[in-house]
Amino acid sequence: MEQFIYYLKVSLKGIKRAPLPYALTIFILSVGLGVFFANATFYYQLNSDPLPHKSDKLFFPMINLVPYQCTTDCRTPRVLSYSNVQKLSQSGIPTQAAAMYSADGYLRVNADQPPLPVSIRLTQRDFFTMFEVPLLHGSIWPDNSARLEVILTRASAEKLFGRTEVIGETLLLDDRNVTVSAVLDSWQMLPRLYDANNRNHLTDADDIYLPLETGYDMNYLSNSQSSTFDDTDYRQLSTQGRTGALHQLQYWVQLDTPAQQQAYRQFMHNLVMDEKAAGRHPSEPNNQLVAMQDIVSYFGGDSSDIKAFALVTLLFLLVCLFNASHLSLNRYLSNQYEFSLRRALGASRSQLQLQMLVDVLLMASFTIAGALLTGYAGIKLMNQLLPANRLFSDWDLPLLLGLLAIAVVCSYLVTLYPSLRASFGTLNQQLKE
Amino acid sequence: MIKLSNLSKIFRTELIETHALREVNLQVNEGEFAALTGPSGSGKSTLLNILGTLEHFDSGDYLLDGQSVKGLSDAALSKLRNEKIGFIFQSFNLIKDFSIYDNIELPLRYRGFNAAERKRRIEQALELVGLHARRDYLPGQLSGGQQQRVAIARAIAGEPRILLADEPTGNLDSLMARQVMELLEKINQQGCTILMVTHDPDQARRAGRHIQIIDGQLHDSTLYEPLAAHSA
Amino acid sequence: MSFYLLIKGLLSRKVVTALLLLQLAMTLALLLNSILLAQQTHQQLNQPTGLDLNNIVLVQLKPTTASLRVYPALEELLNRQLAAVSALPGVVAAAYSNQSAILQGGNNGNVYLDGEEGRSNQPSVPMYFVSKDFFHVFDSKLLQGELPQQSVSLDNPVQPDVVITQSLARQLFADKPAIGQQLNRGRLAAVISDFYGQRSGTNVMFNSIQVAPPFGVDWGYSILLRTAPGRADAVRQQLVQTLRAVEPNIEIFHIRTLAEQHQRLYRNEYGLAMLLAILSALMLLVTMVSSYSSTYFHALKRQQEIGIKRALGASKNTIFIELLSENWLCTAVGALLGVMLALLLNQALAQVISIPALSGYLPLITIAVLLLCVTVATWYPAAIATRVSPATATKAL
Repeated sequence: MEQFIYYLKVSLKGIKRAPLPYALTIFILSVGLGVFFANATFYYQLNSDPLPHKSDKLFFPMINLVPYQCTTDCRTPRVLSYSNVQKLSQSGIPTQAAAMYSADGYLRVNADQPPLPVSIRLTQRDFFTMFEVPLLHGSIWPDNSARLEVILTRASAEKLFGRTEVIGETLLLDDRNVTVSAVLDSWQMLPRLYDANNRNHLTDADDIYLPLETGYDMNYLSNSQSSTFDDTDYRQLSTQGRTGALHQLQYWVQLDTPAQQQAYRQFMHNLVMDEKAAGRHPSEPNNQLVAMQDIVSYFGGDSSDIKAFALVTLLFLLVCLFNASHLSLNRYLSNQYEFSLRRALGASRSQLQLQMLVDVLLMASFTIAGALLTGYAGIKLMNQLLPANRLFSDWDLPLLLGLLAIAVVCSYLVTLYPSLRASFGTLNQQLKE
Repeated sequence: MIKLSNLSKIFRTELIETHALREVNLQVNEGEFAALTGPSGSGKSTLLNILGTLEHFDSGDYLLDGQSVKGLSDAALSKLRNEKIGFIFQSFNLIKDFSIYDNIELPLRYRGFNAAERKRRIEQALELVGLHARRDYLPGQLSGGQQQRVAIARAIAGEPRILLADEPTGNLDSLMARQVMELLEKINQQGCTILMVTHDPDQARRAGRHIQIIDGQLHDSTLYEPLAAHSA
Repeated sequence: MSFYLLIKGLLSRKVVTALLLLQLAMTLALLLNSILLAQQTHQQLNQPTGLDLNNIVLVQLKPTTASLRVYPALEELLNRQLAAVSALPGVVAAAYSNQSAILQGGNNGNVYLDGEEGRSNQPSVPMYFVSKDFFHVFDSKLLQGELPQQSVSLDNPVQPDVVITQSLARQLFADKPAIGQQLNRGRLAAVISDFYGQRSGTNVMFNSIQVAPPFGVDWGYSILLRTAPGRADAVRQQLVQTLRAVEPNIEIFHIRTLAEQHQRLYRNEYGLAMLLAILSALMLLVTMVSSYSSTYFHALKRQQEIGIKRALGASKNTIFIELLSENWLCTAVGALLGVMLALLLNQALAQVISIPALSGYLPLITIAVLLLCVTVATWYPAAIATRVSPATATKAL
């Protein structure tokens, strides 16, 4: 300990002797690391896997089952029709399955209240187990049939009632009475991979949940994408919407084993062949079974701006590292005489290396403080300038530890070369100079 | 050639003023070989620096080749040094990572000579100091005496009118010192005025004229015979 | 000033020089690409939209009760709202529309000549269902035919007439007569001047308009106002109150001029360009620090050498220029490497974002900027270095 304090004292003396180069080294390292941190945060969060044990077992099946012959664009539609989903859910192969879409609505406790705009996810009961949504009160719908029962998130329950135990309460959803059947605990899946179309995976989770069938009965259109491939009237969702080629649904199936996945692929193939034989599939088959971990890139929703910036910040960090080591080398060279003197007085190389280590630690702590500060400012700035990624700006423990480790490594690298130069140079020559 | 009249130099710190040179009068004629001696701190280095225009003086006047250096700009003084004065230092002061050739070339480049002229002069100078074969060596690869000869070559390559030597043999053993002295005498015979600071009474005696400086004041050898008294 | 000696000096400090070169090259590469991106964003923001962006105000809104979202209540609401905002002082014209112009995407679909779907189909053409003053609000020029004067329901047995923009007409009909032709959406009644529709469409200037009440307003709808020059702000301030007075059960999502809408549409590009610009500035700063310190330490280490040079006849100016030249040379070499690196970075960036290729005078300007920065940063330490006293520096240790 006493020895450590002595080393620390020597380090501080060294800084005092040439404060400007030291400050500049810290400044440059801080800026480089801070900018890198800010971008790394977004990069890490955007590419994180919200369900790491499951994301290779959840699949989005897409088929080209539309009533027209494609000529130029033969990609499978990104959303399915109601009848598509019905056909795809007849296999019995998936462990769990849920169709879904989202819509906008207005919710209030009674007619006297101002309406609260809400985003509704219209889905089926397996949604909550499939994506591991925590339940606070009540129970999830027992089946997938239509029922005027909503499931609230904790936040919307608190906003509407000021409390969370509200099971059985009635609400007005777009002027129709609905009953609260469950309240979810706080939950945020980031990125929201089940809704990757139109880069929706970057946005907040929905406010309330309603059975899909009820959504069709209540004529809710998707707020993300509704496409028709025939003359279906958008306004007749409960009738024409269920039979016609009105595509707006996402469908997720859980296929736990490769055998299940193979079986489901085969099922899709057979289905499409049957439909083709019946004359309902005029285009060439183009079945897709995309795993959740690949869905963002399948939909082309990768955050290219963050990627581009990642490339550039990495370059910047490199430049700063070069620069800082340059500065630090100069600093050591100007201290070289003292180093040689110490060695002449009997300090061993390992003792000098220990001194270096203390230097590294000292520099690392200054640098980390500076880098965190710069990084924080950088994140605030990026939220301003690229607001689409705003949900992905949080630091969590593994990220923070990773960043700290990088900072220490960088401080070490910056001190390593100069320290080698200073402690392994020829003793004689330096003293003579 | 050199004429100092009532020249004074004062070093000032916060506490004290040191009179390095007091009212010095000195005339050195063309072709003279003068030795400058004196105890350390007596002001001989200061005098040499002033003569070489490396340092300014506080009062009096200094005429070099009939021209007063007082009030000349830095650029003019540099030109003057480059063209008229050659320096030889005790520690040689060669640039370590320049070859012998590059070291000698440096003042010629400042002078603005073209490549052919530089080459001719460098070779001539190297011939004179006898180091023609070592032109591509680095200074560190030569002995002390050889390095000093390179420094002399550098000093004379520009054919200066005056050579200022600050203890040129101070770091050399006696054999090498003798070689250097012989070289200087040869250069002097070719018409170059030499002013040499030395501690060595033998060398001082070999010079045509002996000037002693004590406490910033000059005592010319014509008036004073110091040798026996001061040699240790 | 000798080039040969300069290079020799640089080579004698291999590590430091290599570091400096690498850094200069990277700075230049980044600087160049940032400028490129900023230029592109600037061009995107300044491309013609065919609209008087500053004098058109957009209100995006939606009824909050389901009963107001069905006809005939909806049409009645639309007309009441139009009447109210039209009466505001400063409003020249007002119209409703199922969607605004200058959007990323929205309501769009195929447009083709009846019976020639395979040959003439244009996918993702925005479909506007508007009131008849829409053309007046946009100040569209009528190029062919006649604008429809009556609002016709989309459920009518005969579809309402269609108005398309010039670019779409040219695509569909080339130079053949267009008016009266039957499109899949209805009979073509008029061709108007181009305006910016949806960014995700095949051509941002393709648009098809029908004077009809919107199909539905589940996604909300727009009220578009043309204001007298300079009155946009005054009009804006009264809109919420006016619209709420007409009908309180509405949600107003936003009120913007089309100029603001346009900026929002390119916000991501703008953000990225800004970030790169800030990063470039930081990089220049770092480069300046590096030039500064490299000169500073170099001069410190070579005091004796500078002193010798001074004694041999180098004036202060010569030393100063020598030190600056060293940095200039370094910068020039670094810049050359940088241009090469910039090409590589440009290609790498082109993989993930749209960025124009590197060309023309841009590298020269960036090199000039870099040289200027390096000169400024080197000035002070170089000036200090010339003050080395030759008398002291040449004294033996």
